[in-house]
Amino acid sequence: MLSAPLPSVEETRANQSFDALLNALSRPGQIRTLPTAGEGSIVDALLDRECRVFCADPTLLPQVLETGAMIAELPDADLVFFGPVQDAEALLSVAQGSDLYPDDGATVVVRAPLNVGSKLRLTGPGIEFHHDIKIAGLPTGFWHMRQELIRYPMGFDLFFVDGDQVLGIPRSTKVEEL
Amino acid sequence: MSLSTLTKDWEPMSYGFLDPSAKREIRRKMLKAVAVPGCQMPYASREVPMARGWGTGGLQVSLTLINPETTVKVIDQGADDSVNAASIRRFLARVSGAPTTLDTLDADLIQSRHRIPEEKLREDQVLVLQVPNPEPLRPVQPNMSIARQMHADADYGRMWLQLYEQIVRSGRVMQGASYPSMVNGRHVMTPSPIPRWDVPKLHMAKHLTILSAGREKRIHAVPPFTRVEPLVFDDVPYKVEEHGDLTCVRSGAKGFFMNEIPQGDGSSTYEISDSEFGVKSIKQTEGTDTIFGETWYKNGEMS
Repeated sequence: MLSAPLPSVEETRANQSFDALLNALSRPGQIRTLPTAGEGSIVDALLDRECRVFCADPTLLPQVLETGAMIAELPDADLVFFGPVQDAEALLSVAQGSDLYPDDGATVVVRAPLNVGSKLRLTGPGIEFHHDIKIAGLPTGFWHMRQELIRYPMGFDLFFVDGDQVLGIPRSTKVEEL
Repeated sequence: MSLSTLTKDWEPMSYGFLDPSAKREIRRKMLKAVAVPGCQMPYASREVPMARGWGTGGLQVSLTLINPETTVKVIDQGADDSVNAASIRRFLARVSGAPTTLDTLDADLIQSRHRIPEEKLREDQVLVLQVPNPEPLRPVQPNMSIARQMHADADYGRMWLQLYEQIVRSGRVMQGASYPSMVNGRHVMTPSPIPRWDVPKLHMAKHLTILSAGREKRIHAVPPFTRVEPLVFDDVPYKVEEHGDLTCVRSGAKGFFMNEIPQGDGSSTYEISDSEFGVKSIKQTEGTDTIFGETWYKNGEMS
């Protein structure tokens, strides 16, 4: 009998990171824990040379480059790392895919403080009735802009990262500002 | 940046068989599939040491999710002990070191061929279904480019026409397995060939379901608490198989999905399809302490 292989440190980290992301996206609004603080473990779990990435955060850029991913302009990027979002207009040129290929819509990672700030009510798949969350640090008009842009099934999926905490809001979720 | 930071240490084999780049690709596609419930997302579908069409899609998803703490259960048409289930379970354990179980309640990850266990799945469990044909429109539109356009337009009229023709010809809906179902009110999916009995189990379920077709290279998902509505006419309600009053000859379990076993004299006996539930029922009759989970169906009725 062969002995079972042991996961490497990178594999364990990527696996935990993806577990957090998958759970966060399938249950929008529920906060999950990443193995390390910041977007680093998301980069490890998802990025390689097949991806086009937009990275607005210069501190994250070296790690993104190390994965071999192609740096792209915002409209061409599959994955977008905004860091903190300053202006809701930034969402305007995020890739949304098409009705034929909704999977071309981007996955957008934003750094924002969770559990503080303005209150939002989420409804949609993954939520039994409704789920209330708090996110701070987003520009005014961010949620309005998202709602205006997304024509389901086209759209983009959001992850909010605060330290090692992550919260997902897929395009299927309806966000109501309270 | 130096060569040592760009390379990894030598390993005799990638953990969980798939190489890291294959896993990353499946991860990205799984996130997209969860974001658009019921929509088929294309993916690369790597080679695994099993023939396409024998669960390679489900296997790749399982291999991506697995870690040494994941308890795995694999079933094939409800049975834990069929050749397909046993070999996939052994492979998963061998390449990941993950513990395996037969008990639905103990499992974290359940890979299944064409059945959903009779005991309710919890929030922390993931169900991976193996899908032979992910395209519900194929019987009405063999050209997959046109079928993709029909999905984009939510143009599902022909699906109803197909059901209507079955009712006109045979007096009832003949679709036994892979009953076309509307997910989140937008995409029609095929829930893999699970029997009609199992489709209501996906509606507003607590668990995440991932459906993966390895040969067809497509992945779709049903997140928890998502509407899954079988296509029906207002005046012809959805009907599950009439197994509610059948009793298993081996275990005495009643009111669950059964396998029909034809007898020499032309009659039939029945045994429960969810083999581990049957084993539990036998153990209980023999007086062993057994823990049953809550079941989706109670006394043959969906609760």
